[in-house]
Amino acid sequence: MPIVIAPINVDLKIVRIATDEKTKKHLESLGVSLNGEVTVLSSSGGTVVVKIKDGRLALDSSISTKIFVA
Amino acid sequence: MKRFALAGNPNCGKTTLFNSLTGSTAHVGNWPGVTVDKKTGTYKKCAEPIEIVDLPGIYSLSPYTPEEVIARNYILDESPDCVINIVDATNLERNLYLTTQIAEIDVPMVIALNMMDEVEKAGDKIDEALLSSRLGVPVVKISALKETGLKELMEEAYAASLKGRQGKTVLEESALAHLVGDVKIALKGQGVKDPLFHAVKLVENDSIETEMHKETVPMIDEFKATFEDDVFGGDFEALVADARYKYISKHFAPALSKKKTEKFSMSRSDKADKVMTHKIWGIPIFLLILFAIFHLTFSEDFLYLGKIFSLPSLEELGLLTAEGEPLNYGVRWLACLYDGAIFSPGVIINNIWNNMLVGELFGWLGGLVEGSSMAPWAVGLINNGIFDGVASVLSFLPPILVLFLFFSILEDSGYMARIAFILDRMFRRFGLSGRAFMPMIMGFGCSVPAMINTRTLADEKERAATVRVIPFFSCGAKLPILTAVAGAIVAYFGVGNADVITFLMYLLGIVTAIVAVLLMRNTTLKGETPPFIMELPAYHAPQFKNLMAHLWDKTKHFVKKAFTIILASTIVIWLLTHFSFAWKFLEDEAINESILAGISQLVQPIFTPLGFGSQLGQYGWVFVVAAVAGLIAKENVIATFATLASCLVAMANQNVGGLDIAAEEGIDAVQAMVLATGITVPALISFIAFNMTTIPCFAAVGTAKAELQDKKRFNGTLIFWLASSYVVSAAVYTIGMWWWTLFLWLAAAAAVTSFIILRNKRAKAKAV
Repeated sequence: MPIVIAPINVDLKIVRIATDEKTKKHLESLGVSLNGEVTVLSSSGGTVVVKIKDGRLALDSSISTKIFVA
Repeated sequence: MKRFALAGNPNCGKTTLFNSLTGSTAHVGNWPGVTVDKKTGTYKKCAEPIEIVDLPGIYSLSPYTPEEVIARNYILDESPDCVINIVDATNLERNLYLTTQIAEIDVPMVIALNMMDEVEKAGDKIDEALLSSRLGVPVVKISALKETGLKELMEEAYAASLKGRQGKTVLEESALAHLVGDVKIALKGQGVKDPLFHAVKLVENDSIETEMHKETVPMIDEFKATFEDDVFGGDFEALVADARYKYISKHFAPALSKKKTEKFSMSRSDKADKVMTHKIWGIPIFLLILFAIFHLTFSEDFLYLGKIFSLPSLEELGLLTAEGEPLNYGVRWLACLYDGAIFSPGVIINNIWNNMLVGELFGWLGGLVEGSSMAPWAVGLINNGIFDGVASVLSFLPPILVLFLFFSILEDSGYMARIAFILDRMFRRFGLSGRAFMPMIMGFGCSVPAMINTRTLADEKERAATVRVIPFFSCGAKLPILTAVAGAIVAYFGVGNADVITFLMYLLGIVTAIVAVLLMRNTTLKGETPPFIMELPAYHAPQFKNLMAHLWDKTKHFVKKAFTIILASTIVIWLLTHFSFAWKFLEDEAINESILAGISQLVQPIFTPLGFGSQLGQYGWVFVVAAVAGLIAKENVIATFATLASCLVAMANQNVGGLDIAAEEGIDAVQAMVLATGITVPALISFIAFNMTTIPCFAAVGTAKAELQDKKRFNGTLIFWLASSYVVSAAVYTIGMWWWTLFLWLAAAAAVTSFIILRNKRAKAKAV
């Protein structure tokens, strides 16, 4: 499911990143990579705040709908 | 001299470390070709002095922003003697991602494990010896804030720089090892420097690399074709990223032993964010903080104590002379802090600086010049041209400094990232990202630092659009125009309320900005707003030493820019107003014979649709002179008013009653001009609107030029400012004079809107 509708405070695994190459590279360097672990901290109106590795990232709806987790 | 480069993620404490290492030797320049600050300094406590270069904060060596390109090229092309990689120990795995990439370059490197104090405070431990042996490079624990471990770090770096190092990759253990090895051998055969790094990047399909090694790409594609993988389906870039993180969590993560805690225990920062970035409360909280900042900087009634307790004014206390001047020197100091209300800190600093220090100094200097036996034109040039120019630049310093200080606090505490986050959704509707907000709001203080601050925007077009509308957020120098003209409207015509007029004009500026952004983002500066991805660093208390370093940096920048341009422009204005075409020196009162007046009379008809052109008759050019002078610096407008008014009175022999033309606020001067020209209220408002939306000042023009790079885009910006001010003022004037023209303007706006929408639709249809 896209991370935008993922449950809060649950360990998730990233299975697909469906953005353009440049954004994907940037996401990867921020820790959002395939097979990576992620936890959603808060989610409202399409924007999500996720915990990745030990950092916090804010992603807007244009990104949060394109990252798929399981 | 040896050169060491500092590299690391944003918010990892790199700048703090840089400041601690270099102290007063720090020097800010620009990276060649781009407007990103290049900070260098010298570290003197090693065997030999070492030049320290602060690279921009980066997340990886695959560039996403211009900053990342700079950092990457520096490490690759300039071959520093050692790279000090700063790693935020509180976010170890993510930070090591960059580390594994730098390690692939054949450059000596040392790892500075920063924020160790916070790790230990949380009860966690990091085994740096284990980390060091796994990475194959020295690891030193430091705290940049508390300045511990710095000496050891530099000793290690110095030792490393003497040895040299071969690149090493963490991909050696992965399935990709073979592929990378083959490409590396091929590149090495071609004599490429840092073959391992380029090999990995080529496997990743990095766009810069494939561009650089075009002829090698087909060969690599052949290699790749033999590679099989189910999960990633030939997506090598994801494969590499995954391999890196896997390696990091397998080999490096064990070095970190965490105190056992609840799985989803929230850190204090997370708890704060529950409130600060709340769906509903986030924006009100932000507005409150913003209001507090402006209140502390500009309010003349601190916490409204004056209103609440109806404190007496200095006059009521009998501390002023009959002329309204302070009774004695002590009262003058008191007047800086209090007059019927306690001033806010920003205003107090401003008053002390301008009234007591700068005012005194230039009063004294002016007296010296006047008392000398110089020719009158020389006295005029030095006193009115040069000294007034310098004083006006200096008078800007306090509000800018105070505003900068508050913004630096927001930045350092980590709240700025949240502001961008909560405003992003709103800004997206106008085609901008939330990051564009900060530069805009800074525009209310001064356009120059605001434009410099647009560097945080990743997209060039978004940046250009933001730079263009910044002047519409009326800056401090435009406020005197507003108060003078609005005051005159109220005093002379007896309509409205000066505060309401001022407020509405500010609003007009904001609305113009929004409309202009929408227009540009749909026509000339079309483009997708980049997706919003932002790191939310943990909140922490800003550090005094860092704040001061920030402040010093930014002030230096402003003073250097503003000084040269404003000073030069005041001298030019003075020459144009004090010499006739025959190059004869003119007294202040004879401004009507000056070169500037001549030019203004010539171009006056152009301003007719705006209400202050030909219809004002004989003396109508005065408003044009003021507006033209304002193109150079907005503080010229009111200064010019005073001169022009006295000149008008002398020429027209007008009886101005009890008006005090030379009064500083300029309200009376405007009234005298109204008397002489018969200008209408809508035309006066149109005059304010023109000044608010046109070319802001030479200082801002210079900054815009430096920030925009592209010459065509800069010229477009000048035309945009002229056009928008002309249209806005014409609309204000005509609607004010003949209310039914409102419908004509609305119809025109609707026509333009539908034309753009239709055209964009057609373009889209074509593209599909």
